[in-house]
Amino acid sequence: MTEQQRPTDPQPASGRHEEAGRLGGGARTDVFEVFRQEKDGDPMRHAGNVVAPDVELATHYAREMYSRRQESVRLWVVPRSQVTDLSDPDLLQPPLDRSFKKPGGYVMRDKLEQARQRAKDEKDGQGTS
Amino acid sequence: MTGPARRPTRQLLAPDVPDFDRRQLPPNVRDALAGLLLAMADDEFVIGFWDSEWTGIAPLLEEDVAFSSLAQDEIGHARAWYEMLAVLAGETADRLAFGREPAQYRHARLLDHPRTDWAFSIARRWLYDTADSVRLGALARSAFEPLAEVVAKVRREERYHLMHVDVWLRRLAAHAGEPRQRLERALEVLAPDALTVFTPLPGEWLLVESGVMSETNEQLAERWRAEVGGLLEELGLPALPADRPPAGGRNGHADSESFSWLWGEFTAVHRLEEGVTW
Repeated sequence: MTEQQRPTDPQPASGRHEEAGRLGGGARTDVFEVFRQEKDGDPMRHAGNVVAPDVELATHYAREMYSRRQESVRLWVVPRSQVTDLSDPDLLQPPLDRSFKKPGGYVMRDKLEQARQRAKDEKDGQGTS
Repeated sequence: MTGPARRPTRQLLAPDVPDFDRRQLPPNVRDALAGLLLAMADDEFVIGFWDSEWTGIAPLLEEDVAFSSLAQDEIGHARAWYEMLAVLAGETADRLAFGREPAQYRHARLLDHPRTDWAFSIARRWLYDTADSVRLGALARSAFEPLAEVVAKVRREERYHLMHVDVWLRRLAAHAGEPRQRLERALEVLAPDALTVFTPLPGEWLLVESGVMSETNEQLAERWRAEVGGLLEELGLPALPADRPPAGGRNGHADSESFSWLWGEFTAVHRLEEGVTW
């Protein structure tokens, strides 16, 4: 193929002055929540979220946002629409006093000390018999 | 060289290139290998710079980060090849990357095209990444172990690059109207230059004979055409031309207006102060 026949670039060379990218008018995006595990055995922690047209690209974007510097060993990518939200104050923050459901009413220190002493006595008793 | 003495560039936590003695290769094989490394380094370096132009203006913010990260990966691969070449040629990676005139670069002509629009950058990256993948697959079996070792690392990163560009190629092809039209136009412009990635190298027979390359570029070009041909057919896109790799596909970059512009950009700091480091 000669130079004359070869199709030319759609636009002349001018680096950054060329066209910016854009999504088409019909394109829809969704929010995906991303959870990450920092190292094996750690719990999955919420890392943040990404916007993407579908779960495939969301997975790629999660990889770039939350592990391109090798900071994760596992990611979970969840469409926000699939997350069940519970924030009803009647269910989570009921108004009546709840202190009796907390363990603060029990003083454990003395009981713990007695139990330790008992365990020690039993062990010593076995040792001498 | 005038000016202040060179300081080494920032050291990597773990060097990507293993120590090796260049004398383990006969001088003529060494020269041919230098040609192969220069071609690969310049390919990765130039596509890395073109695609970094998308930073800030990709179709969506997340893609901005993703595409820029891919571009950075390519610069990282170029660095590994330049460092290996620096050991062979008694040079420094920085001087190899920034200290040459446009005519001395040996990247494939496919990479002389400017980034243009999104479909164009995706089409080019798909053509290049699939070709690079075939090339790396063959070099993973290289008898020159330091090369095979670095190739193995690079291939693990390229796996994700292929996944990402495949998603976009299919997406553009699947949307009739503007996206598909732009993709077809880009492939029409780029296809004649796609085979330049497999341009026969000077002294290539020495590399094949010594096992540094397990196959010739012409064989690699055939394998690549068969691999990408399947996907083009599946997507109803035009087949690639049946040419052989062109002889001058890695020369003549000084005549490319777009590459001359890019060269001016990426050497700007180096030309401002010889030996500058960060």
